[in-house]
Amino acid sequence: MSLKRTIPMTTVSGFGVSAVFILTILNILMQNMPSNIYRAGDELLKLNATDGVANSVTTVVVYFRGFDTLGEIAVLFIASLGIGLMLTNNNLNNISQENSNFMLQIGAKLLSPVIFIFGLYIMIYGHLSVGGGFQGGVIIASGILLLLISSNGFHISHKFVEIFETLAGVSYVVIGLIGLIILDSFLGNFLPYDISKMGLLLSGGIIPIIYIIVGIKVGSEMSVIVDNMLKRNIDD
Amino acid sequence: MIETLLNFLNQEEVLQVIIVIGSMILFFIGLFGILTQRHFIKIFISIEIMEIAIFIFFIGLAFQKGKTAPMLGDGITKFINMNDPIPHAMILTAIVIGMAVLALGVSMAIEYNKLTGITTIDKMNGLKN
Repeated sequence: MSLKRTIPMTTVSGFGVSAVFILTILNILMQNMPSNIYRAGDELLKLNATDGVANSVTTVVVYFRGFDTLGEIAVLFIASLGIGLMLTNNNLNNISQENSNFMLQIGAKLLSPVIFIFGLYIMIYGHLSVGGGFQGGVIIASGILLLLISSNGFHISHKFVEIFETLAGVSYVVIGLIGLIILDSFLGNFLPYDISKMGLLLSGGIIPIIYIIVGIKVGSEMSVIVDNMLKRNIDD
Repeated sequence: MIETLLNFLNQEEVLQVIIVIGSMILFFIGLFGILTQRHFIKIFISIEIMEIAIFIFFIGLAFQKGKTAPMLGDGITKFINMNDPIPHAMILTAIVIGMAVLALGVSMAIEYNKLTGITTIDKMNGLKN
């Protein structure tokens, strides 16, 4: 193994000291690790049964920590904005019309509807099974990436995507404010949520609606990021 | 022989120790990469490896033997005897934030390379003089 440069002695000793430090902390942690430790999630699992949503991770992400999810989406939006500011160049804005591989073109035509439907399924059934808005949005963005690299003349209209993105962000906040007005808590569950309907598609009140909104926002932002990065790559 | 080994590995304490030590090894691989590599992209990859080590650490320790995933379905009708849902939700947040930071950092590196033609942090001494 050849390193690109010689590592100084201080680096090696700092590495060793930090390793010993972390192993000590881990040793202390491992001594009272086993299952008799109190788990905060048990209380949440009890609470979850009153919300009518089958997937408790979704309840934690969207309902108990809904405000944090709003902040997380804001972080994603700011990252997308920064990438757009840095990578877009008005002089070199055209995607190259170079023909890609024949297999890639046909494969993209065949696979992209399946990928989009799979992403939508993951997004819409996020409150019933594994998945949710973030995962579904990323799957849809991966389908758009496949369409973009196959160069079938497909291109994203940024204004069209921005409409989706803005509507999703605004409706998230509006739903939160309606909950604040009706139930005195931001993102309160103001729609009827019947516990006997738990497991059906229409259950859980506002929770599936919010997760679909999150999916739309994440999907549009990721598509814009992918498009910006691809443009720059091809121009060089 | 194999059965004994599988039975040994199936104990909860052994699994937790394997997860802790394995994720720590992965973490230190990433730290080693950050300290030794000089290229922008390799440093970002090392940061991602460290992040993934933390994700594995949290998700792995949330697992408890004999407990199911925290959701209903397939004959499970009550929220009892389930794994802790909090680490899953936290790591879901952390993955998204990590992705955003990585994409922003890579785009900054691309732009910096575009402006100056530099790809390694050894030559990043523009603020020095």
